[in-house]
Amino acid sequence: MVDEENIRVVRCGGSELNFRRAVFSADSKYIFCVSGDFVKVYSTVTEECVHILHGHRNLVTGIQLNPNNHLQLYSSSLDGTIKLWDYIDGILIKTFTVGCKLHALFTVAQAEDSVFAIVNKEKPDIFQLVSVKLPKSSSQEVEAKELSFVLDYINQSPKCIAFGNEGVYVAAVREFYLSVYFFKKKTTSRFTLSSSRNKKHAKNNFTCVACHPTEDCIASGHMDGKIRLWRNFYDDKKYTYTCLHWHHDMVMDLAFSVTGTSLLSGGRESVLVEWRDATEKNKEFLPRLGATIEHISVSPAGDLFCTSHSDNKIIIIHRNLEASAVIQGLVKDRSIFTGLMIDPRTKALVLNGKPGHLQFYSLQSDKQLYNLDIIQQEYINDYGLIQIELTKAAFGCFGNWLATVEQRQEKETELELQMKLWMYNKKTQGFILNTKINMPHEDCITALCFCNAEKSEQPTLVTASKDGYFKVWILTDDSDIYKKAVGWTCDFVGSYHKYQATNCCFSEDGSLLAVSFEEIVTIWDSITWELKCTFCQRAGKIRHLCFGRLTCSKYLLGATENGILCCWNLLSCALEWNAKLNVRVMEPDPNSENIAAISQSSVGSDLFVFKPSEPRPLYIQKGISREEVQWGVFVPRDVPESFTSEAYQWLNRSQFYFLTKSQSLLTFSTKSPEEKLTPTSKQLLAEESLPTTPFYFILGKHRQLQDEKLNETLENELVQLPLTENIPAVSELLHTPAHVLPSAAFLCSIFVNSLLLSKETKSAKEIPEDVDMEEEKESEDSDEENDFIEKVQDTNNTGLGEDIIHQLSKSEEKELRKFRKIDYSWIAAL
Amino acid sequence: MAAGGGGSGDPLAPAGVPCAFSPHSQAYFALASTDGHLRVWETASNRLHQEYVPSAHLSGTCTCLAWAPARLQAKESPQRKKRKSEAVGTSNQTDLLALGTAVGSILLYSTVKGELHSKLISGGHDNRVNCIQWHQDSGCLYSCSDDKHIVEWNVQACKVKCKWKGDNSSVSSLCISPDGKMLLSAGRTIKLWVLETKEVYRHFTGHATPVSSLMFTTIRPPNESQPFDGITGLYFLSGAVHDRLLNVWQVRSENKEKSAVMSFTVTDEPVYIDLTLSENKEEPVKLAVVCRDGQVHLFEHILNGYCKKPLTSNCTIQIATPGKGKKSTPKPIPILAAGFCSDKMSLLLVYGSWFQPTIERVALNSREPHMCLVRDISNCWAPKVETAITKVRTPVMNSEAKVLVPGIPGHHAAIKPAPPQTEQVESKRKSGGNEVSIEERLGAMDIDTPKKGKDDLQTNSFPVLLTQGLESNDFEMLNKVLQTRNVNLIKKTVLRMPLHTVIPLLQELTKRLQGHPNSAVLMVQWLKCVLTVHASYLSTLPDLVPQLGTLYQLMESRVKTFQKLSHLHGKLILLITQVTASEKTKGAPSPGQKAKLVYEEESSEEESDDEIADKDSEVSDLFAVCTSACISS
Repeated sequence: MVDEENIRVVRCGGSELNFRRAVFSADSKYIFCVSGDFVKVYSTVTEECVHILHGHRNLVTGIQLNPNNHLQLYSSSLDGTIKLWDYIDGILIKTFTVGCKLHALFTVAQAEDSVFAIVNKEKPDIFQLVSVKLPKSSSQEVEAKELSFVLDYINQSPKCIAFGNEGVYVAAVREFYLSVYFFKKKTTSRFTLSSSRNKKHAKNNFTCVACHPTEDCIASGHMDGKIRLWRNFYDDKKYTYTCLHWHHDMVMDLAFSVTGTSLLSGGRESVLVEWRDATEKNKEFLPRLGATIEHISVSPAGDLFCTSHSDNKIIIIHRNLEASAVIQGLVKDRSIFTGLMIDPRTKALVLNGKPGHLQFYSLQSDKQLYNLDIIQQEYINDYGLIQIELTKAAFGCFGNWLATVEQRQEKETELELQMKLWMYNKKTQGFILNTKINMPHEDCITALCFCNAEKSEQPTLVTASKDGYFKVWILTDDSDIYKKAVGWTCDFVGSYHKYQATNCCFSEDGSLLAVSFEEIVTIWDSITWELKCTFCQRAGKIRHLCFGRLTCSKYLLGATENGILCCWNLLSCALEWNAKLNVRVMEPDPNSENIAAISQSSVGSDLFVFKPSEPRPLYIQKGISREEVQWGVFVPRDVPESFTSEAYQWLNRSQFYFLTKSQSLLTFSTKSPEEKLTPTSKQLLAEESLPTTPFYFILGKHRQLQDEKLNETLENELVQLPLTENIPAVSELLHTPAHVLPSAAFLCSIFVNSLLLSKETKSAKEIPEDVDMEEEKESEDSDEENDFIEKVQDTNNTGLGEDIIHQLSKSEEKELRKFRKIDYSWIAAL
Repeated sequence: MAAGGGGSGDPLAPAGVPCAFSPHSQAYFALASTDGHLRVWETASNRLHQEYVPSAHLSGTCTCLAWAPARLQAKESPQRKKRKSEAVGTSNQTDLLALGTAVGSILLYSTVKGELHSKLISGGHDNRVNCIQWHQDSGCLYSCSDDKHIVEWNVQACKVKCKWKGDNSSVSSLCISPDGKMLLSAGRTIKLWVLETKEVYRHFTGHATPVSSLMFTTIRPPNESQPFDGITGLYFLSGAVHDRLLNVWQVRSENKEKSAVMSFTVTDEPVYIDLTLSENKEEPVKLAVVCRDGQVHLFEHILNGYCKKPLTSNCTIQIATPGKGKKSTPKPIPILAAGFCSDKMSLLLVYGSWFQPTIERVALNSREPHMCLVRDISNCWAPKVETAITKVRTPVMNSEAKVLVPGIPGHHAAIKPAPPQTEQVESKRKSGGNEVSIEERLGAMDIDTPKKGKDDLQTNSFPVLLTQGLESNDFEMLNKVLQTRNVNLIKKTVLRMPLHTVIPLLQELTKRLQGHPNSAVLMVQWLKCVLTVHASYLSTLPDLVPQLGTLYQLMESRVKTFQKLSHLHGKLILLITQVTASEKTKGAPSPGQKAKLVYEEESSEEESDDEIADKDSEVSDLFAVCTSACISS
């Protein structure tokens, strides 16, 4: 049984994956990307999400690998914290509280204990690059307030900052300036583009910057598509730059390969360009990447690149410019015209996707299935072009038919309109174009609906348009002596006093058609196409229209622009009830009588679930979203839930999904957060144990021989070294997970100490080798306690840590020397 | 036909290759083909998700595989007050896949990371692994092998927890009871073990050949009055190699009954079995059995005690190629596996070849006893991960599609007269129309023949040709007549044509007008003549409106853009003449460059526009416009 918690709004489909550059792990097995408040860890091989690192309380703005430990990851967020993660196990190790909003994060291997971040302190649009010192501490929550200012008046975007040549300098660009700050000299050089002064080169702005990993070379991208390579910038006068020009529009991002031999660039052309040896002649292309390249990153191992695109995807590309994997989220590039639909066949959510495509998104697996190319024309990705838009789509007859409407309107009078009717072919398991209708109406189509009654013998489609007509299209037999064929033809054209038709809707059994003409609702008999009756409430244009279902099929609901929700009784042809509700979305549940309406107020959006037979709502949830909700849909559940409480019964058969203005897909969940947040300990965790390879056998034998020899020599010298496994400090060091260990410098003294031969251990070693397990454990325990005490002491006076090491080394110097002697002797014996 | 399952030549090896749907939502289908490759397919999009080749795939081919029970992953977080809607919702994620090999090792493959997770070897089997079962709760793994042993593995530590001799011959199949406390094993006989003590609890006789599949079919005993100890009263199912009968057994409290309770009969050896568990007494068990001959048999039965006669299937599903052309006959496509979806009302079918299977979701219709699906799998996607990168599907747009443009019948509703009138007209036409037309035709022929001699050949042959062409619908003959440009000839032909051919001619003209505009230009002449000459005849027709409705709509739609076109026409002429004029002036150096007097008229632009709008192709006017435009600019 499901616990009946409160109904919560949860997000699905994920947030934007393309907000910041993705980061590869050191071995290129994983790729990290920011996604809303989370950091997602994907496998580069399988495209699957391995972990979601959650802990931030606001948008994550930057991620970087820890340069000192490549198994750890830093992330910064607008909530003012930097968090350190162990990404393999998905565990939060530390939180550094900085206090002010962090807009980006950078790490440099040379700056050991500090990271760099972009903050804005005073005015909202003035950003600074600061260095944040991360204090060493064993506690999980650390305050990191020690900020040192590096650069002022910089761009907010992390693409405009780059650290070069092993952290010697940092380059920042803003508008027409390139500033380079040298850490050692603590000086800033500023270069202004000479051409920026005259108007001719007004599109010369810097857009992004990248630094060569080993040489003193800075690459900058510009608004006009040029890439400039700056050299010799140590001198304010003698600096030089060369130009690379291929992009016709702004350079979105630049990246040097690990060795620095090639430079990668990308822009709106959706072509990845690789400039080899920084020359204009040697360039390679990877075209047709589908959408604008927003970010480019390179794996530290150098074998993979990845590009983040504006349609919410990350493409992983091999060194030889071959795409190997795609991590695709819900496409959020453009506005949604079609609304949300459910494909009856695949049960996938269908909505606008890539330009000219319908995307099929599986809600069960939270993955995009595919994009269906409806317009089938080359998409020219250029600013200011008016594209063909896919404006309407509808599924009919259990997914056998798909109707799509595409339009392009350059000027008010120049409308291009096309309606396509696709038939699902079972033999080939795909859609085939059946009928193409040019200019089905003189003006934009406002609504499109199929008659989905079960017993209807003839597929019927209705289109309503602003030209004042609605057209009924039916499927007819077009067979002739040459072939058997079916095709769609217009059967009836209806209008009502030249008003614009705004909505249309079939009743559940398909016997009635309701078409709204601005303020008036007309009811038509679907057999004879006679006007049966009209309803008019004089309360503004009808925005939504739907019939009741099952027991409520005698009701018709209409929501108007003036914020009135009306319910008419079709038997008595009278208004049953009305309510003041500013309805944005009204969706009937296909499996029950329920109707969900989302209203918009100044505070946020509220959900109302009701039955048409009674004006009292079944369920109200206020404040489901702060933004305007644009579309909603009920998705039938595969396996019905069994909520008993009255408030949740509406979620038994179907789930409600809705899409907000910022295109986040949300739904309602009844599961408690604890249930979903299963700790990793509860997961079925199988330890990785891969068998030994032949190499291991060879090496292993060699080592064993070494060990034996060592033992022999040791025995000869009558010195018994403690076996490493028996030393608690060593075993502790080797078996404790890396993320809970204190820093190496701290452990060093204990480790060395434990390896030294003190007199006590010598005496202890008199005990024969076959020590009982219990005894060992006891000793381990006691040692751990000792360690603990030591640690506590150390944390109390961290400043004295080094002194302690010194003292220790002094006191044990003799033994160390002795040990060294022994050491040399057994090496000589080999 | 090579026997699957590792490709050994053993005749008693089960047919088919190891494959399995991922638990819960059946999002993935894992298939270990005989070439040693493990492929994981996405069921929803029929896309190859990943491919893995074990390092020892040739010596130790995969003999069986099993998905680990879904792990719960923290993917949803609570909504916070400050920012709304924070969570990412996903159901359970499946990850580990256990593969048994012919050499006795068991590989654990992580489908999320796409790499080998661990390998279970030490202390395990030293012969072919026959079956692997995951324990649903404890995270243990059970495997059985040709070395007669059953091994219980601790997956967390990758170590053998327990190993015991399961039978005197090889153990071929395993199944864990719904409560997780018992284990069924099939060797020579079927044994039910208590997992805690590893003792045999019950014996069943089993099959004559090695048992290839074992499955519990119920999770509740049939009569719920008695206290339920977790196992007594449950039914389970077994299928064996070369055996066309699937047996159902019941675990009973007394140890006497060892024979099968009932059996299902299928057409060939079962290759893949899937069933929906019945959770209560009323709900029937649904069983899908994929046979070696490529058919799927569906059974729906409420298990309730003995049944002597073997039950036959409620529904059989087959798949065949269309085979429409002359040379190809329909060929059966083998179904490889079938799994029930979580709603129990539809079935996922995997068919085609092992290397490139197609996965489809088929809604079940229990009323039909036989379903034959026609599928064309010739143009399926290649089984490469690389090709699946773009995730774009292109629906077919071929020339056979019907195209409707404004003016073509079907684009707009046909013009119909008022309903009562139509009935009369229809009846009239029905009663008299046909006979009259024959008479008329005869009459026309009578008239035509004598006329031929008298009149001059040229004009006379045209009406005859036209009439004959319209009657026989001969395309060439009509072309010959209708493609003339001589206006006088057209007039004469129209005058002399018989009246009854007027309407057919008009229809023919309408059809041709819908075609290419070049030919439509010729048809306009004809149309004009027909309408002027036969206006009186046409006006007498009672059903004129429906007859000429399409023509009317066509003309309306064509004329709609006329005004815009004439605008364009005027502008273009203006432009062209300006260009030519400027070229001329360039060529001939004009003596006086400076104008003596420049007269600027303020409204000249508007005027020019108006003049263009008024069209007029007269050159003189245009010149005036040109000059004014030149001056203004």
